[in-house]
Amino acid sequence: MKKLRLATLLALSLLSGLAQADRLDDIKKNGVLRVAAFDSNPPFGFIDPQTRQIAGLDVDYAKELADRLGVKLELVPTNPANRIPLLTANKVDVVLANFTITEERAKQVNFSIPYFASGQQFIARKGTLSSPEQLGSLRIGVDKGTTNEIVLREKYPSAKLVAYDDTPFAFTALRNGNVQAITQDGPKLVGLLANVPDRDKYEIPPFSISDDLIGAGLPKGEQRLTEFVNDSLRELEASGRAQAIYDTWFGPDSRTPLTRIFRIGDR
Amino acid sequence: MLDELLAPKYLGWLIEGFGVTLLLSALVSVAATVLGLGLCLARVAQSPLWSWPARAWLSVFRNTPLLVQLFFWYFGASALMPEKLLIWLNTPHVWDLKLFGVRWPSFEYIAGFFGLTLYTAAFIAEEFRSGVRGVPAGQIAAAQALGFTPLQVWLNVVMPQAFRISLPPLLGQYMNAVKNSSLTMAIGLAELSYASRQVETETFKTFQAFGIATTLYILTIIVIELAGQWLQRRKPAPGASH
Repeated sequence: MKKLRLATLLALSLLSGLAQADRLDDIKKNGVLRVAAFDSNPPFGFIDPQTRQIAGLDVDYAKELADRLGVKLELVPTNPANRIPLLTANKVDVVLANFTITEERAKQVNFSIPYFASGQQFIARKGTLSSPEQLGSLRIGVDKGTTNEIVLREKYPSAKLVAYDDTPFAFTALRNGNVQAITQDGPKLVGLLANVPDRDKYEIPPFSISDDLIGAGLPKGEQRLTEFVNDSLRELEASGRAQAIYDTWFGPDSRTPLTRIFRIGDR
Repeated sequence: MLDELLAPKYLGWLIEGFGVTLLLSALVSVAATVLGLGLCLARVAQSPLWSWPARAWLSVFRNTPLLVQLFFWYFGASALMPEKLLIWLNTPHVWDLKLFGVRWPSFEYIAGFFGLTLYTAAFIAEEFRSGVRGVPAGQIAAAQALGFTPLQVWLNVVMPQAFRISLPPLLGQYMNAVKNSSLTMAIGLAELSYASRQVETETFKTFQAFGIATTLYILTIIVIELAGQWLQRRKPAPGASH
């Protein structure tokens, strides 16, 4: 009986010892946080032509995490397809690469709470569109073959949709008055608007009809690391740092102004 | 991939698109025939005041891609229109005619109809012209010698024969009008090709979506073909064996 209790204690202490020697400890021990980020997806992650370093909204979050841990940041460039393999093969500790949270992906990796939402939004002439209820009575330009078209038809069956081959064509139709609004993912729309000569005439109303929530990808089962990232994100929002990061890339004075509709902790 | 059929909703989209294709091609064929006849008469006129503008029209519309022409009418021309007219054209209008309402067509429809008609008319004019040239000059001279006025020569001698000669190529142009109408999907007109692409996007049933659209196009062409054969049996072209 005594023996058994001893064995149990031994086993438990071994197990807890194993559990404690997790990724978070490894990072602290090695003094390096390895983060996968995009290198060609502005403004989330791209090579800054001046510094020749990877920069962007995702990278700013990576820097904050490394600072909080008091370790060096090592950025690993990635493309969309490599994000999960990099995590499962233990090549990186965190993926911060515009990583949309999906159920399918959550089977293979841990996700933090979302720190960004990329939603389906609209461009319209200033003052013509202020709330989603108006959508049902408008002619709206969409890109052929996109989920945006399907979502809009499901949610607003009475809206008249006109499908064009790509977003620039849809925008031309908007400028000509053939449609009253066009729809795409918000960050794509600001990118489009940034290059338009008469962009002052148009606006992106601050609402979205669907949300892709973006979170940090972490190795499956690394609960302590996940908790650390979640706590850090909440603190960044509370301290106003998250807003400052957003404003750097999407604020009113940035090249691609987009009203912030999602805050960390909203969902 | 073949084991699944399309849901009724999607079949409905295809049928609706097919309706738009049929109505558009029929309207284009009628308008382009009238316009083409006028163009042909202008082209063969003695006065350069008539023939040169007709020549210019034929060369512009026959020698540029139809897709570019459609883009021009939809995106280009609308940029030049007064804003009020454009707003009116782009808002739905319904006239209540007691029994049923008449809906003013969308701007995509108008631009598609306009572009296709101008393009098709140029080809039809040339088919008519070759018909006119197929009437032997001797017949015209003979009619004049018999004291026919120029108008009588046209109406009684040239036109009936020219029409019969140009009937087979004319039907070919109507078939082209049906097929060319698919290009209007690029300016957002929800005809058959547009509908098939939309069905494909939502269902991922690629074979079914494009297969049904192809079949409907083939059926339409066969109907035109049969109508042409029937017409030719009733009114054979001059010189055809009896």
